[in-house]
Amino acid sequence: MSLENDLRNALRRESPPAGFASRVLQRIEHERAPKRNRWWRAVAASVTLTAILGGWAAHTIHERREGERAREQVLLALKIAGEKVRYAQQEVRTIGTNE
Amino acid sequence: MTAIVPEALHQFPTAFTRAREGDHDAFAELIEQHEAMVYSLAWNFFGDRSRAEEVAQDVFLQLYRHLDNLESDAHVLFWLRQVTTRRCIDLTRRSKLKAVSLDDAGDLPAAHKPADPLLDRRLKRLVQELPDAQRAIVTLRYQEDLDPSEICRIVGMPVNTVKSHLHRALQSLRRKLEKHP
Repeated sequence: MSLENDLRNALRRESPPAGFASRVLQRIEHERAPKRNRWWRAVAASVTLTAILGGWAAHTIHERREGERAREQVLLALKIAGEKVRYAQQEVRTIGTNE
Repeated sequence: MTAIVPEALHQFPTAFTRAREGDHDAFAELIEQHEAMVYSLAWNFFGDRSRAEEVAQDVFLQLYRHLDNLESDAHVLFWLRQVTTRRCIDLTRRSKLKAVSLDDAGDLPAAHKPADPLLDRRLKRLVQELPDAQRAIVTLRYQEDLDPSEICRIVGMPVNTVKSHLHRALQSLRRKLEKHP
């Protein structure tokens, strides 16, 4: 029984060093602040990502349009060349008939 | 008169109720109500004041995050005892820490000078040499004055296991004290 009383005495409650509650509250504040930063960082990251993806999409559309234009020009050039060849053939045939 | 007192108490919400509603000062009040209990559980477990402070701070930080899940002042008290005890055991298991440094055990607050400081110091050291579960159970039994049926809910063990740990711990302490009186 004496041992139990001695244990009660040895293990009694003690207060933490002064200012304990303030230190806990400071940690809570500190924990909240990075959360706000993290939130802003996430917003900034998503805005940057949107801008990059938007830029990339615009660039792709521009390139596709350029390609289409070049293709149209090539087709037009081929068409003109074809017409000229046809004309030349016709001329050759006409000369051949006249002789 | 007895009927008036509980009614009057209902008119003044407790620190816990106010803290749960977001009152920062009430949370500080709640810390002050329980800091000695939480800090002492860790201090008696580790025998290291800085580690005890660290654990106690972590426990109150966790309490702040879990306030919405708690229902009453009694629930807060139970939760704090449970989380502190389990955190102490987990930390010891994780780091294999055997803290028996009681170098700063002498600087007790003047108001609590023990009758026999040497015996106190020795008993603390012997308690800290006990296996983790026994140490936690002895601390809850003699610091918090809880009986085995309350301790078993905190440590999550059957009541007979708690009684057996307590019995073995007391035997071991008696043996060591008799060996080197």
